[in-house]
Amino acid sequence: MGPLIPNGLIPVEWNYVIAILIGMAFGYILEASGFSSSRKLAGVFYGYDFVVLKVFFTSAVVSVIGLYYLDYLNFLDISQLYVQPTYLWAAIIGGMIMGVGFLAGGFCPGTSFCGAAIGKIDAIVFIIGLTIGIFVFAEAFTFLEPLFNSSNLGHITMVDILDISPYWFILIFTIIAIGSFVFSDWVRSKVKKVFY
Amino acid sequence: MSKRYKTKKFIVKREYQILAFILVFIAAGLVLLPKYKKNEGIMPELFVKNAISSERYISTDQLADKIINQDPSVLLIDMRSEKEFNEFSLPNAINIPLKNLLDDDYIGYIDQDIYDVILFSNDSFYADQAWMLGNRLGFKNLYVLKGGLNEWFNTIINPKYPDETMPREAFKLYDFRKAAGIYFGVGAPKTEKKAAPTKKVITVKKKKKRAAEGGC
Repeated sequence: MGPLIPNGLIPVEWNYVIAILIGMAFGYILEASGFSSSRKLAGVFYGYDFVVLKVFFTSAVVSVIGLYYLDYLNFLDISQLYVQPTYLWAAIIGGMIMGVGFLAGGFCPGTSFCGAAIGKIDAIVFIIGLTIGIFVFAEAFTFLEPLFNSSNLGHITMVDILDISPYWFILIFTIIAIGSFVFSDWVRSKVKKVFY
Repeated sequence: MSKRYKTKKFIVKREYQILAFILVFIAAGLVLLPKYKKNEGIMPELFVKNAISSERYISTDQLADKIINQDPSVLLIDMRSEKEFNEFSLPNAINIPLKNLLDDDYIGYIDQDIYDVILFSNDSFYADQAWMLGNRLGFKNLYVLKGGLNEWFNTIINPKYPDETMPREAFKLYDFRKAAGIYFGVGAPKTEKKAAPTKKVITVKKKKKRAAEGGC
């Protein structure tokens, strides 16, 4: 839990308590904003509802701006943040499989549990499928391992690849985000409305 | 319509435009803010705390003890120039002149956390400077030999005999230093070579045989 536990401000045992509280808050927000309905996610693909895109794009933009302001004010050190390593081909193929799963099931793993919690049968079926997928992946891991570990590009970010100032990148990224919102609204206005 | 109603209507109607504008404005703020050079390495507060701590020093006695016990975790680094290093130094020391401290060839010796790096020079002056550079960059396990080689000479090589009124510890320390000095090859007690006692040669003159004289 961020700077509190490593600095000894609160004991380590609080990790789980805080994780549960954050998880409950996250689930509540997901359900309250309607993400527990599979039509919400499917709406992005059919073009009648872009809330998912807007929410996740906005959260990414807001958090990156906030992090860089904190870094500017010396409250945190961006270079100390952990960057997930990039496995290029594994990420592309995994992303495609996950995208098909999103489209077919109408849930992402998080929202499926959210939907199951309010008793949606399709969400429960989705979770069963998800578990089977995990099992198959685990059993086939020996065959998948070369792909899983290949094309490791290390802890890279877009700023490293494009070699531009992160501040400019954030500004461009923000404008792209807003452009995509405008575009998605335009698409939505062209598509037949779905009420659910 | 009142003016207040108009503003409200404007805000409600253009809600998303206003929010989008705020977002772009804040992002542009990052680009437009004046840039300043960030501190490299550890925070200044921590640096000062480290600098005034006496734990960054190691005394000559402690070092002598470590060397004699062949402590494998010690890495001695001589900060003096190469010429001075070639004249004399501590056993197994590595020479990194102060001006080359952060060179690529040498930085591996001080930027690591396996050994306890002990920096020394003639006094603690160069070593202190090197310590400050290293500590500021966040290198771990750096120590300075307090007093440097001069102190080493005064304590280990040429210890002073304590006064009669000094406590027993002072004598113990003296004994340790004397013994350490012997380990490092100086001040071995002079064994006076006693000349083998010369045997006095008593020459016994043999009496000449007298020619037998006629007896009775």
